[in-house]
Amino acid sequence: MKTGLFIATLLVVCSVASLMGQRGAGAGPPNPAIGNAQAIAEGDALYHKTCTACHGANGGGGEIGPAMVLGDRVDLGRSDSQTFNVIKNGMPGTVMKPQGLPDSDIWKLVAYIHALRGTAIDNPLPGDVALGEAVFWGKGQCGTCHMLAGKGGLMAPDLSNIAGTRKSSTIVDALTKEKHKVYGSGGAHLRNLPTMDDYLPVHVTLGDGKIVDGVLLNEDGYSLQMIDTDQQIRSFDRSKLRKVVVEPKSLMPTDYDKRLTPAEFKDLMAFLTRQGTIPPPAPAGRGGGAQQEQ
Amino acid sequence: MSTKNVAVLCVALLVLCAGSSAQVRTPDQMLLNPDPKDWVTYGGTYTSQRFSTLKQVTTANASRLQSKWVYHVDNIEEGEVTPIVVNGVMYISGFNRLDAIDARTGNVLWRYQRPPVSTTRQRGTAFYDNKVYVVTSDSHLVALDVRNGGVRWDVKSEGGHPITGGAPLVADGKVIVSGNRGPVGGGFMQAYDAQTGKHLWNWSAVPKPNEPAYKTWGGGTPAGAPIWISGSYDPVLGLLYYGTGQPNPQWTGQGREGDNLYSESIVAIDVKTGVLKWHFQNTPHDVHDWDSMEVSILVDANFRGQPRKLLLHANRNGFYYVLDRTNGQYLLGTPFIDKLDWATGLSPEGRPILAPGHEPSVKGTITCPSTAGATNWPPPAYSPDTGYFYVVTHEGCGVNTITSSTDPDSPTGYFESASDPWQAYVRAIDALTGKRIWEYKAVRSDHYGPGLMATAGGILFAPEQFGQVSVLDAKTGKSLWHFNTGDVITAAPVSYSVEGQQFFAIMSGTNVIAFGLSDAN
Repeated sequence: MKTGLFIATLLVVCSVASLMGQRGAGAGPPNPAIGNAQAIAEGDALYHKTCTACHGANGGGGEIGPAMVLGDRVDLGRSDSQTFNVIKNGMPGTVMKPQGLPDSDIWKLVAYIHALRGTAIDNPLPGDVALGEAVFWGKGQCGTCHMLAGKGGLMAPDLSNIAGTRKSSTIVDALTKEKHKVYGSGGAHLRNLPTMDDYLPVHVTLGDGKIVDGVLLNEDGYSLQMIDTDQQIRSFDRSKLRKVVVEPKSLMPTDYDKRLTPAEFKDLMAFLTRQGTIPPPAPAGRGGGAQQEQ
Repeated sequence: MSTKNVAVLCVALLVLCAGSSAQVRTPDQMLLNPDPKDWVTYGGTYTSQRFSTLKQVTTANASRLQSKWVYHVDNIEEGEVTPIVVNGVMYISGFNRLDAIDARTGNVLWRYQRPPVSTTRQRGTAFYDNKVYVVTSDSHLVALDVRNGGVRWDVKSEGGHPITGGAPLVADGKVIVSGNRGPVGGGFMQAYDAQTGKHLWNWSAVPKPNEPAYKTWGGGTPAGAPIWISGSYDPVLGLLYYGTGQPNPQWTGQGREGDNLYSESIVAIDVKTGVLKWHFQNTPHDVHDWDSMEVSILVDANFRGQPRKLLLHANRNGFYYVLDRTNGQYLLGTPFIDKLDWATGLSPEGRPILAPGHEPSVKGTITCPSTAGATNWPPPAYSPDTGYFYVVTHEGCGVNTITSSTDPDSPTGYFESASDPWQAYVRAIDALTGKRIWEYKAVRSDHYGPGLMATAGGILFAPEQFGQVSVLDAKTGKSLWHFNTGDVITAAPVSYSVEGQQFFAIMSGTNVIAFGLSDAN
């Protein structure tokens, strides 16, 4: 082996090992429960028995406890070992008390929560990635609206990191189910003002009668933001508009399992579930911890 | 001195005395007859009308409102506090903490923090005789000196039961707090001497085996009915009006057949003794976690030609109620939302007439309104000038699921219904008929949102969940001014005055933001 290649290989091995260590537990080797299907299934059952009442189904958040995961990856700033500690010891100053479970059960819970937090990049779907890419830009016409690494359209979400932010099942549902929106627990509180993720077609009639078509980015009682068909971001004062029509459904087709052959669909999924990067591990501390000032 | 001169002197002295007594209110008078410049208690006054008599800001000049200052409350999540303001000082509370700030500038004066830092939501404080009151996450009630935040007394709650996040209320010289003794304990109210912290009485929202209400639990152990929002008070009748929460188990009625008193009720409690005077149950045998925590507003008015002491209440279950607050008599009830399918109406006694098929199920059952409610705890407002009751409402339905149809303690959840997504509106309702007058759509807001406030300037101060604050014409709902606070709002607004300037303040996210006219002074 050439030295350069050897060093490069070593660097990759080191960084993957260090990443695995960090993602596993923060300190020391990851617990064997992490990623273990049986432990995850048992953790699922334990979760529903112990945690759902406060934290909501599937960690989505409840009236009492915060969300641990919101359908897709949300960095809550907690490593597996921190999650373990919270379940074991409770959170001072909150109603989260020590749960009094054996450590082995707590690790099963942590494994389940870890699995909930994972996204497509952690478990990409099988298929021919190169053929999938061809479908993306060709028959699937995905690139007409979506962008990948700076190439494609602006009328729909950028997909460059779709696998790092969405689960494989969410991606499949978005392409095959008309009603694929996942509602979180009704008791969960918003932690911030979310972006509008519906990408609904909008038609705005200006004061002079000119009509602007595009996709709705945001709105309130007084203003409206959109990206028009010329791919320009526009902001309007509602009081100066004659008419606003928002269509109830996005332009995204939800019958890709019928538009494409089963093989094409499989390859497209293999391609999409590899678009992105594994995010860095969460640093210690509340809210991700303070970055050290240089 | 002639007789005439003596008479003149006497009159002068009387005027002086009257004048000075108006200047220096006793601690009780400050609450019974508050100075219009202050916001002395959670609901503004004991009636909880959230109506400010200040009228510097009117429908004519509201367009000249601007932000005056922002105060960031550190170490919290989204705040739900209604601040109180007395003599130019604003008190912003949380579990274990209280920040006193200059209400004119937003500059901090002192801060009390009892370890540990808590991010659990808490909704306000109370003021009495230069003391403000803090509840703690380890079940203490603490009285602080308003001048410097020094602890004047600190008592553990009677029985050590957890005090919930509702604002304490001072009535009849007593601090009233409420809580929940845990999943199998039940809701309670407690009273402490406001001067000394001495425990005076308890009221339990769930009955003991020897009480008649125990029979309404079908042989099951009475549990639930937590109390976590501050109530209203009628000092003439000597009655406190509080709401109680859901019965437990929360989502399944098995094992607790019956009405489950006093869950889901408006209760009238004697302030002297803590004894229940009357109750009105909005949702008997609830399986949707609707609670009756929504604040009841007290109004004296001619109702169907008869002067009456009324209690107005828009419930999470979708019905608006008018009761006689002297005895709890049901006078009127009508839906204040379009989508209500769990009941076909109310009986002449105000009891819901159930529609079949709305029990939560393993498959998921759609019910309107959702468990998030037709409205929720963020408080409504009432204007004596318009006679309208203002409330944030949520149209839409929910899906209630349980994980087992046989286990009464089976974990459950509720979700927004995909077929009837949620949308918030501010609605004005004629208080005496329940008729809807106008509505204002809170664009994008889809969950229970902020509380409201009306003023003698003819305006309704209406925040939205999605961060917008608007001033609406209280008569028509027309928007007169707005400001984007940039964060989620769940709290309720207040109005107060310092040195001749009227302010509005609202908590948005982790900030309190104050507004006033650009050219008031």
